Amino acid sequence: MKENNEEKNEGPVTDNDLHAYVDGFLDAGRRPLVERHLAAHPETAARVAAWEAVSASLREATSWKAREPIPARLDLGRLLAARRARRWQPVRVAAGILLALAVGAGGGWMARGPSLPGGITSVAMEASAVHQAFAANVVASAPGTTAQAQLTSWLIAKTGHKVAPPDLSRSGFRLVSAQLVATMQGPACMYLYDGPQGLRITLFMRPMEKRDMSAPMRPMHGKDTVGYVWARNGLGYGLVASEPLETLHTLANQIRSEMGASI
Amino acid sequence: MSALATLEENIPSLRRYAWSLVRNANDADDLVQDCLLRALDRLDTVREEGQLRPWLFTIMHNLHVNRWRRAKIRAEVPAEDADAEISMPAPQPASTEMREVLRGLRGLPVDQRQVILLVAVEGFEYSEVAEMLGIPIGTVMSRLSRARDRLRDFVEGRTQPVLRRVK
Repeated sequence: MKENNEEKNEGPVTDNDLHAYVDGFLDAGRRPLVERHLAAHPETAARVAAWEAVSASLREATSWKAREPIPARLDLGRLLAARRARRWQPVRVAAGILLALAVGAGGGWMARGPSLPGGITSVAMEASAVHQAFAANVVASAPGTTAQAQLTSWLIAKTGHKVAPPDLSRSGFRLVSAQLVATMQGPACMYLYDGPQGLRITLFMRPMEKRDMSAPMRPMHGKDTVGYVWARNGLGYGLVASEPLETLHTLANQIRSEMGASI
Repeated sequence: MSALATLEENIPSLRRYAWSLVRNANDADDLVQDCLLRALDRLDTVREEGQLRPWLFTIMHNLHVNRWRRAKIRAEVPAEDADAEISMPAPQPASTEMREVLRGLRGLPVDQRQVILLVAVEGFEYSEVAEMLGIPIGTVMSRLSRARDRLRDFVEGRTQPVLRRVK
């Protein structure tokens, strides 16, 4: 197709021009030509006027739907929560099957058959699952101070520990999300950090139930996660990344020494 | 603005499009819900904020096509039925003209209905619509012509005794 300005302004008026005229997409240079054409052809002008009227009534007749209050089931907060629950399901049913988490030495829960693992092994699985669910999907935005303060006070009440999110900025990690998450062992707290080159790490914490109230730090390897888990003074911790990170062990040590001291 | 906030901002227009496309409010919100869930799964794949809205409507379109195909296979129900329920809430100042244009809309084949809604109501550019629907831009334009002319006929003929239009 030949294209030059002359033709653009002088070519025959087509249906495409008429649509563009109605929809406001018409090239400014072509507008006078279309307007002259409409003035000279009353039938076409009537057609265009009817198209405009139809568009206007369609917009008017459907606008109430866009103004209607959004029903609860389309609430993004609820959908995100439902999605989280869905993602937890595999972890739950697969307890004895697929999560090849090698926690510490000795094969861990795999040897104990398909019952739910407990203690620090659960923390490793949960931390891994939470990281997978959130790290790829949470849209980065610094958590509101309210959310953070609520989480912190909840954990303090629950455990008697100081659990404000650790400052990892010296290593280039910035807190982007703080959330309460559900686990089979009860509610847990998750802090998500953004680091250099789009790396994301998750710090997961929850009160321990009966077992492993204190546990030494051990490396953990999930299906697509690596990290460290430990427990101190009745609080279990997991620091998880999607790929091996040189700094992860140092960060875990830093976090362990800063957090979990009794109040 | 975060992608999540932009997503939320688009929910009203997704509901409007879904409701205009399918026949009842419940089915429409089902479609929106599926669309949002799918979008949440892949939100991180959207690089530019400006792409998010067309992307959402593309998801909606694909979901609608899949459902529509399944429904067509399941039962040989005519896909188009101009007499289908046209519900508008009571507080709506539903003028005759608006009712008629909705009736006309529902009488259009679904491919024409999509195009005219995406262009005239949702304000997408022709090239965006072509990409969303996976069709050449020429096809978008010809469907738009047919949709507009048919709606014009329908609305202008509304004072005459109502006859069901047969495709």
